Amino acid sequence: MTETIVSDTRPCAPPAEQADEPELTVRKAGLLDRRQFLATTGGLLLAFTLKGNVRAAYAAGPPIHIDPDYTGDPVSANINAWIRIGADESVTVLIGSAEMGQGAYSGLAQIAAEELKVDWQKVTALPCPSSMAWITGGSTSIRNNYQMFRMAGATAREMLIAAAARTWKVPASACHAVNGAVVNSRTNASLTYGRLARLAAMMPVPANPPLTASADFQLIGKPVPRIDLPSKTDGSAVYGIDVCLPGMVFAVIKNCPTLGGTLQSTPSVPPGASAVVPLDNAVAVVATNTWQAMQAADQLEVSWNIPSSAQNLTSSVILAQAQQLMATGTPVTAERQGDATSALNGAARVLNMTYTFPYLAHACMEVLNCTVQLTATTCDIWAPTQAPGWVQASVAALTGLAAGNINVHPTLLGGGLGRKIEQDYVVQAIRVAKAIGQPVKLTWSREEDMGHDQYRPMALVNVKAGLDSASNVVGWSNRIVSPSILFQRGWIPGGALDTQATEGATELPYALGGRLVEFVRHTATVPVGFWRSVGHSFNAFAVESAIDEIALATGADPLTLRRRLLAASLDPLAPRSLAVLNAAAALGGWGSALAPGHAQGLAFASSFGSLVAQVVEISQPAAGSLTVHKVACVIDCGSAINPDSIAAQMQGGIFHGLSAILWGQVNFTNGRASAHNFSNYRMLRMKEAPTVSVQIIQSGAPLGGVGEPGVPPIGPAVANAYARLTGQRIRTLPFFPGATMGGG
Amino acid sequence: MITLNVNGQDHPVNVDPATPLLWVLRDTLQMTGTKYGCGIEICAACTVLVDGEAEKSCGMEVREAAGRRITTVEGLSPDRTHALQRAWIAEQVPQCGYCQSGMLMAAASLLSQNPHPTDAEIDSAMQNICVCGTYQRVRAAIHRAANG
Repeated sequence: MTETIVSDTRPCAPPAEQADEPELTVRKAGLLDRRQFLATTGGLLLAFTLKGNVRAAYAAGPPIHIDPDYTGDPVSANINAWIRIGADESVTVLIGSAEMGQGAYSGLAQIAAEELKVDWQKVTALPCPSSMAWITGGSTSIRNNYQMFRMAGATAREMLIAAAARTWKVPASACHAVNGAVVNSRTNASLTYGRLARLAAMMPVPANPPLTASADFQLIGKPVPRIDLPSKTDGSAVYGIDVCLPGMVFAVIKNCPTLGGTLQSTPSVPPGASAVVPLDNAVAVVATNTWQAMQAADQLEVSWNIPSSAQNLTSSVILAQAQQLMATGTPVTAERQGDATSALNGAARVLNMTYTFPYLAHACMEVLNCTVQLTATTCDIWAPTQAPGWVQASVAALTGLAAGNINVHPTLLGGGLGRKIEQDYVVQAIRVAKAIGQPVKLTWSREEDMGHDQYRPMALVNVKAGLDSASNVVGWSNRIVSPSILFQRGWIPGGALDTQATEGATELPYALGGRLVEFVRHTATVPVGFWRSVGHSFNAFAVESAIDEIALATGADPLTLRRRLLAASLDPLAPRSLAVLNAAAALGGWGSALAPGHAQGLAFASSFGSLVAQVVEISQPAAGSLTVHKVACVIDCGSAINPDSIAAQMQGGIFHGLSAILWGQVNFTNGRASAHNFSNYRMLRMKEAPTVSVQIIQSGAPLGGVGEPGVPPIGPAVANAYARLTGQRIRTLPFFPGATMGGG
Repeated sequence: MITLNVNGQDHPVNVDPATPLLWVLRDTLQMTGTKYGCGIEICAACTVLVDGEAEKSCGMEVREAAGRRITTVEGLSPDRTHALQRAWIAEQVPQCGYCQSGMLMAAASLLSQNPHPTDAEIDSAMQNICVCGTYQRVRAAIHRAANG
């Protein structure tokens, strides 16, 4: 198995080799606007940069609707792919994506290694150090960088071939690359990449290196073992929380328990602590280890200024406001096709359905943390982050240091889920380091992590479906009331459409007659953020529940109804959607005889460029309970880079979505969050996990994402099964509010 | 001064004896494979073996661990050759990997007591929370390790 290097630091020994060389190069590469190669001691290092790709990446999906003209990072070039070949035959692919479990490091290395023609066992991946504007989100790591990584591998391969050809004084056409070496086709002589690397670095960069025909792929499309997994089985993988620097002290955060509250005065340093650092709406407590800091923070009496507006941050008030906005708010149109209003007015029957969704916490297994070493002239910062360029900008803003003197070390992430794009914990750590003048690791306790999240927004979603006398759907009106993630950040003005709040409600592949989708922004100031699948996480539930409600109300089979709505649709995605739906029905045995007390449900969602349908089988062993036995999941993501990774992401998305719909809920009372720990924020455990089977359809369509698309269909599939089983339609999530869990 | 025996090696540690073992392992001994997840003995990311039994190290004061045999994920094998580590790779279990140290230690404890557990026995023993959702593969990997 491949030795894996997955981070640029080790506890208490920030290494020179792994961090320094790329760092230096990044700064140089930042000045380039075309592909460049850089010779390095003893090897070949190729750096690829393409201007414009940042913008393209930013336009594709969350969190990428973020300001496309963002200039916080002075380096505008996006370093997408680097390949480093060592004299020791090592092949290192430097990755500009966060590895948070989704397999980006391995998947992108796999793509480059395919073109490079190297033994997969020899390939390692490292994070591209910061100084670049990469942001990981929107299930884009593979699909946005696929071509770039193929080009990177192919370019390096052709330069290695050119080096061998020069050595042998034969034309390049007389040479070919195989398994980490260039072979002279006439003599069968061979030279390894390690021996060729230095000369290869001096060869001209080919403009259009040939790419491998897909029929000849050896790695792409194969379920190769992920290169980051061995280090995750022996404790050697380094997450942000594992970083340890010589002379480092340990800080924990105590945020104002009430949202919007501010620090009244700096409390005195409690016993066991070495410092208390005031931070506007929080204090940091510093000690010689994390536990001591936590103990001291617990004991600390802090006076806060609580704004009177905090009383409005109460779940019942927020819901009442949402209901008021649903009735009387001024909507902004997200999508209009035909005349939905007339269609509904003229319908023989209108089904009116309103769904209610709670705030959700991210609850990444690795709590928020950040480690900072600050001097008068430099800053080194380690963070589990989805946005290292923003980390750099945060440092620059708070210290005045030039970007070139700020070294961001992206670590592995113990889950990201959208939470680790944020800068709150990063800014706090920088400020603590500034205040105390020592290297410091700041850690949030689980209670702080859940109680001060940037939550998946609550939402109230109404769907009105108009049916004619023959039960055909002739009109569809869908109004979404929800706080706006983008507005809260100042990225869109108040009256603008937040497309992330309406994604999953728009661009449906079904024929629904006149269609109107509207958004009304809720003004609640609970901080909201990107949560795996973002708007799809609630909109798919509303849409796919409503479709099912139509089926039940009209006596139609839910599969048959969806087939009919897709067959009648002119939407370009309808044929692929139908194929996915049919495959899921077959995989899940839709309509087959079930054990007594069991029922099936199905749902479909198109998100992040992929189409996913799921068929679930459930039972209700006792009132107030629910068992999900099986999930059949079919995804069309265009084509598969690593089918096993895709299956893992579907399994993970399904389990993640199940926790959320069954139990996930954060309530607020006078600005205080209800979620404290897993004790009252229940997560799925192994005994509750269904058996998931996954089928991948390779339709050849453009690559879709896989990190998020497994989440949206599971909720409605379960709710649809539940309605068939019990006759009770779940329109308010979670299924089981007030859930708790113990130590087991 | 407390002497901790971790992975066969004695470590004198000078800490408040009420400090949870978790934080002594992580902050004092800098053995960071053992993870903090909840601090209240629910998520089991901090699971280690104490005299061969799975224990949540966030809930064990270091004074209780003194003189006992502590095994962390770093001590499962010197070279990733423990049957569970091999099975974890064969089944491609981890995603983010953060909870996997605790999963592996819980599984090691299970197999030492029950070399061939059924699905139900695995489900009942493995209480670890995995937000990535690796449960299905964890179960398969435990069976694989059990079957050698």
